[in-house]
Amino acid sequence: MSLARVNWREVFARFGLVMALVALIVILSLLSDRFLTASNVVNVLRQISINAIIACGMTVVIIGRGIDLSVGSLLALTGVVGAGLAVGGLPAGLAVLVAMALGTALGTFNGLFVAYAGIAPFIVTLAGLTIFRGAALAYTDGRPISGLPPLFMTLGYGTFLGLPVPIWIMLGFLLVTHVILRYTALGRAVYAIGGNEEAARLSGIPVRRVQAFTFAYSGLAAALAAMVLTGRLNSAQPSAGVMFELDAIAAVVVGGTSLFGGRGGVFGTLVGALIIGVINNGMNLLNVPSFYQQIVKGGVILAALLIERLVATRRT
Amino acid sequence: MPLLQMTGVDKRFGQVAALTGVDFSLEAGEVHALVGENGAGKSTLMKILAGVQSPDAGSMTLAGQTVRFHGVDEAQAHGVVMVYQELALVPSLSVAENLFLGKLPRVVGYRDLYARARGPLAQVELDLDPAGEVARLGIGERQLLEIARALAREGRILVLDEPTAALSSSESERLFAIIEKVKASGVGMVYISHRLEEVFRIADRVTVLRDGRLVGTRVVADTTADEIVQLMVGKSVRRYQRSPRETGEALGTFEAAGPGLEPLSIALEAGEIVGLAGVIGSGRERILPTLFGLEGTASWAGDPVRSPRDAIREGILLVPSDRKAQGLVMELTVQENVSLTTLSRLQRLGFMDARREREQTRTWIDRLSLRPPEPHKPVRELSGGNQQKVVVAKSLATEPTVLLLDEPTRGVDVGARAELYDVIDGLSRRGLGLLLSSSDTEELIGLSDRILVFRGGRVTTELRPPFDYEEVVAHVTGARQLA
Repeated sequence: MSLARVNWREVFARFGLVMALVALIVILSLLSDRFLTASNVVNVLRQISINAIIACGMTVVIIGRGIDLSVGSLLALTGVVGAGLAVGGLPAGLAVLVAMALGTALGTFNGLFVAYAGIAPFIVTLAGLTIFRGAALAYTDGRPISGLPPLFMTLGYGTFLGLPVPIWIMLGFLLVTHVILRYTALGRAVYAIGGNEEAARLSGIPVRRVQAFTFAYSGLAAALAAMVLTGRLNSAQPSAGVMFELDAIAAVVVGGTSLFGGRGGVFGTLVGALIIGVINNGMNLLNVPSFYQQIVKGGVILAALLIERLVATRRT
Repeated sequence: MPLLQMTGVDKRFGQVAALTGVDFSLEAGEVHALVGENGAGKSTLMKILAGVQSPDAGSMTLAGQTVRFHGVDEAQAHGVVMVYQELALVPSLSVAENLFLGKLPRVVGYRDLYARARGPLAQVELDLDPAGEVARLGIGERQLLEIARALAREGRILVLDEPTAALSSSESERLFAIIEKVKASGVGMVYISHRLEEVFRIADRVTVLRDGRLVGTRVVADTTADEIVQLMVGKSVRRYQRSPRETGEALGTFEAAGPGLEPLSIALEAGEIVGLAGVIGSGRERILPTLFGLEGTASWAGDPVRSPRDAIREGILLVPSDRKAQGLVMELTVQENVSLTTLSRLQRLGFMDARREREQTRTWIDRLSLRPPEPHKPVRELSGGNQQKVVVAKSLATEPTVLLLDEPTRGVDVGARAELYDVIDGLSRRGLGLLLSSSDTEELIGLSDRILVFRGGRVTTELRPPFDYEEVVAHVTGARQLA
């Protein structure tokens, strides 16, 4: 193999995503002089933070060959419970922790059904989607919870070292997820199970426990996103997060994580969330009507999957 | 004029000659058995006949007319139909739908379809509701249904590939009766089997292949099982023979039972290699999955083994027969695969210990001389032999006391095979106990300290060295019972 010969397919497989993002940025900055400004860049990052946090959890689930459709409803339920406890007099910090623990517990609930009852993740989390939404509506009687303590305001609107807190939370969670996936035995087990469950089982990996973990982690991610969203809205809405699962899955898939499991990572997901966020932002700046925005977004997802498919089939 | 005449068929796969100048013929109303050891070229020859593969050289005539198939469709249009051993039915569809699958009219009129199904079903004497789901049928009925399907396609030449492998003896009897009947209607059948008693029971002629060459065609009535075994075995030069070994101390005893496997126990010494022989369906192929806790019930040294995790805790590791489906995570690298079994040992507070992981991988790459010696290469990109070494490395990384080898050289080329044999021999010399389940007689003889022969779900014979090749084959194929 000569060093001079560039394997474009390899380059494309590895950096194609980033190249696509850069191309988008270049195009949009040519189309609108408001696009590539510091304030707009921060704006985009803050806008994608909630989706990116949820998508981190989704990435772990999907690498393990699962899917989690319940995250939007789970976000609503943990949001209203956390807000409700805080308004009811529990110290705000504790209320946030309880909400995150609840998110983890609900995710575990999904995970147990998938791993131990052997029900398809799609079905289990579809049930979770309606159960958690119903619980959120029942808990609040359908009304938003407001009058929150200042901690939530900080989560949504605070800044640290010049950057909004939601961006820090997103980056922090991204890093934690990356470390789990790449540097822990647990993360390795997730890849192994997603890549070949039978081989993982025959290697003595506790497949079911690891599967349950992936859903628990996704629940935690959704609860964390719920805290940020509650802060942004300065209230907790039982109807929050509708269709968030689709945005999260889109970010993961556009980010190059295989829906067939075993392959991908959280930085790809960040780039995927950025691509979707940049497209949304750019279309807003260009005054594209929102109905058309949805069409474009769906088209981008299809295009990303098509490209992944082409790269994947060439490989085998 | 024969119904089928294949002449001078050559087929190469890369460097390997799978078939060299093979002639084969079939008369109308004849059952022609095709026998030979694994890798002899039976399947390749039949794939060429059925249009799955095209020959590099040679010709084929059907009823005197030269043909060349470019796909299964064309072969079927000429009346050549394969009846596969892994049953190619759709369980969730009805009997009738399966019968006409691929030939269904654009708009399916069920009443008509069910009526049309009665003919082929009657031919194989299956008294089934054409509307019934195939999922509810037993394995024997499914096999007959496949034959009915071949007949429904106006098959003049049927290829039966080990049709009795999964059948009970009464189901086999029923199948033989149907074969007689179909034969009487003028259909020619090629019958691939490892069981000589079946060959002598139903075949008119028998052709023996060895190493891709035709070694002889005999009229069954004029030959003996001993002669066929001799033809199968030939005067092959033993390619590998490990040197004798001192007896070791007892390691423990396996107890096992399960579906298709009568209760049995196998005591194992340190350094001992116990070969397990038997055709598919003999119970031999079930024993290792059972001992590893995947099916049935098993125990080792008195401790129950209910799951792979139990087995690994006992120091028992399995090198599974299907390395792509069961052994490796193809997306991961060599190092990540080798570490799969030892994740809990390679971590500290949950974090992978990168240095220890690197050292462990390095050790096994060196010890098994993996090529290329590259820990971060995806296993997908390795050759079959080197992939198998990764599976072995992964198992050995746990420092097991017992290694279960299930068809360890399947799909591995000859050179890499010898290397794997050296690896296996080296393991025994380091005191491991090994069970070697294989359909390759040469491999069993070359490596084993004793060979257990399975028939009908139990051990029928235990052979000790010096092994006689013919004798082993005779026991495995059942020729010994015929004599």
